[in-house]
Amino acid sequence: MPALSLIRFTARGLGRRPVRTTLTVIGLAALILTYVSVQSLVSTLEINVSGSVSSLGGEIDVWSKGTSFPLFSRVPESYANTVKNIPGVNLAAPVALAQMTVDNNEAVIAGVVPSQLPRMISYTMVAGTMITSNQSGILSIGKALAATVGKGAGQTLLLDGYNYSIAGVYQTNAWIDYSLIIPHSVAQQLIGWVNQTSMIVVTTQDPRNVDTVIGQIRTLLPTADAFRTSEAPSKISPIFASLEAIATDITIIVSLSAVLGIMNSNLNNLRERMRTFAIFKATGASSSQIVRLVLYESLLIGILGTLLGLGISYVVLNLVSIPVAETINVAIILVPSTFIYATLLAISVSLAAAIYPALRIARVRPQEVFRFG
Amino acid sequence: MDDGIILRTEGLTKSYGNGPEKTIALDNLNLQIARGKLLAVYGPSGSGKTTLLFLLGGLDKPTSGKIYFDGVEVTNMNERRLSELRRKDIGFVFQNYNLVDELTVLENVMLTMTFEGKPDREKRDRARQLLHRVGVAGKERRRPSQLSAGEQQRVATARAIANGPRLVLMDEPTGNLDQENSQQLVQLVADIIEGEGATCVIATHNLDIVNEAPSKIFLKSGRIVSG
Repeated sequence: MPALSLIRFTARGLGRRPVRTTLTVIGLAALILTYVSVQSLVSTLEINVSGSVSSLGGEIDVWSKGTSFPLFSRVPESYANTVKNIPGVNLAAPVALAQMTVDNNEAVIAGVVPSQLPRMISYTMVAGTMITSNQSGILSIGKALAATVGKGAGQTLLLDGYNYSIAGVYQTNAWIDYSLIIPHSVAQQLIGWVNQTSMIVVTTQDPRNVDTVIGQIRTLLPTADAFRTSEAPSKISPIFASLEAIATDITIIVSLSAVLGIMNSNLNNLRERMRTFAIFKATGASSSQIVRLVLYESLLIGILGTLLGLGISYVVLNLVSIPVAETINVAIILVPSTFIYATLLAISVSLAAAIYPALRIARVRPQEVFRFG
Repeated sequence: MDDGIILRTEGLTKSYGNGPEKTIALDNLNLQIARGKLLAVYGPSGSGKTTLLFLLGGLDKPTSGKIYFDGVEVTNMNERRLSELRRKDIGFVFQNYNLVDELTVLENVMLTMTFEGKPDREKRDRARQLLHRVGVAGKERRRPSQLSAGEQQRVATARAIANGPRLVLMDEPTGNLDQENSQQLVQLVADIIEGEGATCVIATHNLDIVNEAPSKIFLKSGRIVSG
């Protein structure tokens, strides 16, 4: 029997069981939506966090060895002097990073040496001035964070429970806009560090010497890791590997549930249609035709579920965004490969859920069904 | 060589269960059925008529004995060959018709042709022609449950002869029919034999059919008592 004829036959059969068909299609669409949402969320976080890590400024980052994210890094502050003395180094600036409470919000604070700031990052002042001294109780705040906490230049805010005056509001168009800058020494006190910092941001006199400088830093500071700033995102890959593993686990659990659910539905459905398949066999259908009939039926449902799921996922994920702060939302990034994998997943799930019921129904013995029902 | 025999059985036996629970449905049946003829199998309920038809149609396996269809042994055929036999060479009309209510009347008649892989147009034309022939024209799009018992019987008959089988097996075809429909069916069977050149084996209680049949066997407790 040609496949096309069998597929047409199957399609007509599905149309005659609209409730069961619709429910299974919706179930598969939900699987697709779950898969695409989880994968897109991970992709969005990867892309955005990678972007934030790569925009701390400088040409070279020095972190503690084996660290995957600058927030987790901790190196002696004296490393800045060691690096500064390497020939060809223009700037070796210690940067202390920590997550703290700003009024009622959580934000990353950056402790920098005020005099080194202009050589590290480029910024424009929206209001007021950047911090210029190591004076305690004064900070500059990023535009996005200022909007979130509803404060501006000249006002005060609570940083980790202490009152600080806002010297000014800056804008960099990078992650640090949702942050605030305080003097490095003040940051050390707040975090509770003595002579320690998170990382050293390095610039060179001649960018062609970056690799040579990196080599020398590695030789001089064996407990630290030096690399180009552009390579920073790859350092956080273990975090994303964990996130991806979690996403994979969720996908496996949801897929297994879908396979078992649809298989159960298929078994019940085929059991109810046992007489129909017995008639098919009695009128000349071979076992392989019965198997194909069930598989085509599941494949068609899989295709319908995939189309519906992809459509819903596209619309929903275009409408929602990840709230990272009260006024900052990151749009979900839709990666085309996620949609391709989602299609393969849904088709595989629908076929996997049909194989056992198909083989079982293909063994139906017409004479027994006709005699005993 | 054509010896004029389409079906032959040798020591055909079918039993169910074991030991003291053992029930013998057919006991050492030796039978020859002539090509292009009508054979009526009659006898009381439980005499083995349906079992015999299921065995002849390749739907069941005998406990012992052999069946030859056109000289070829059926009893040692594998599942794939048996499916092919049922699809191409044997048409079956079941006692309660066994039409698929998920399908329309037309699709029911097209069923064996669909499994045979015939092109859509060909099977549609053939199905329409058969429905016209059995007197159910104009009801192609209805579901079997929307037809009377007599009409369902005729649709089942149309389905059985759709692929032009050489053997048509009918199990109590008039069991649920009134006198008028029974007579129409007898006429239809005569037409099938004449028009399609098929051999017909009918298991029946209907004495009109038995009297019309050129050959007949009377079964009792799984044995041929007369014929």
